[in-house]
Amino acid sequence: MIDLERYPRQITLRNGVTLVFRPMCRDDVDRLWVFFQHVPPEDKMYFRQDVSRREVVQHWADTLDYDLVLPILALEGGRVVGDATLHRQRTGWKQRVGVVRVQIAPDYRHLGLGTAMVRELRHLGEKSALHYLMAEVIEEQAAAARAFEKMGFVRAVTYRDFVNDQKGRIHNLVVLLYRMSSSPDDPVI
Amino acid sequence: MAGTDYRCPHCGAELRGDMRKGGSRPGGTPGCPYDGLAYSALRAGHDAIYFGPWRRIDAPPTEIRRGYHRIGRHLDAIGAELAGRDLPAAARDLDAALAALRAADPREERRDTLRFMDNALSYAHRAIDDLLHEKGLPPHQPMDFSEWYDVVEVPFRDEW
Repeated sequence: MIDLERYPRQITLRNGVTLVFRPMCRDDVDRLWVFFQHVPPEDKMYFRQDVSRREVVQHWADTLDYDLVLPILALEGGRVVGDATLHRQRTGWKQRVGVVRVQIAPDYRHLGLGTAMVRELRHLGEKSALHYLMAEVIEEQAAAARAFEKMGFVRAVTYRDFVNDQKGRIHNLVVLLYRMSSSPDDPVI
Repeated sequence: MAGTDYRCPHCGAELRGDMRKGGSRPGGTPGCPYDGLAYSALRAGHDAIYFGPWRRIDAPPTEIRRGYHRIGRHLDAIGAELAGRDLPAAARDLDAALAALRAADPREERRDTLRFMDNALSYAHRAIDDLLHEKGLPPHQPMDFSEWYDVVEVPFRDEW
């Protein structure tokens, strides 16, 4: 179990704006739904679920289990401006692999928030005895890939013509891995 | 920039250049661009190396060796700051920096020496940013202090 005593915590961005990082709670449904409504269509195309539907976000809130999915929200006052999630499995062959996803509000990009959220996920991953963090991005999401690489993620593989967006177009999928300090001595990357 | 190395009387940072450039304070003491900032000595130590003469394309071997040893002292200072703290990600960055520096030993005159030194400094920067993040502060931006140094390159900025 990850120790969440560090939350809520304040994070100051390069432009001087101070945000609060904290785990999502059941009361966050509407503010998270509003956040996703403002995500640009080109970003929404790559989402796994239709986050424009409130019931999808409501379902996340109803089934919150931080040991499986830990969503960290970045809030400016009552507004969600960033969402970073750490996905884990309790059992099975991937129980030492955490999957990370990050989404930043358009007006909060280019301020270092994405990097700060990846840094936060890296800290949480180290605290949860994982061996690897894994991030998947579409090759066109170059800024996101660079933010992960800046924090030590390494491009492990690129699957050519592998995934489709919501309009059916085919894209390359880039898988990035971050090797945790508790990973085996003989790394895959 | 003409000038010599000196130590900031306020924060203890190792600086290089004209100490008058930071402006004067009441009492005639020289200013320091890092004064009052968290981890000021680590920031200044990083930037003195980052903007240092070893990164010039025409850097002589003596400057490269000086840069190498300066990175070593800088990593020692980061290690002292991390000692006793439970920050495994930062410790991992420091380990990576030390490994890169070991690979860079300039006495061997290897072709990759400068690249390894650059990698060591990048990992060191990340460890400093890890420390700043734990205080809720934004990452250190060397370019914010570039006017104090002879800038030899324009570094990458966050886009995300």
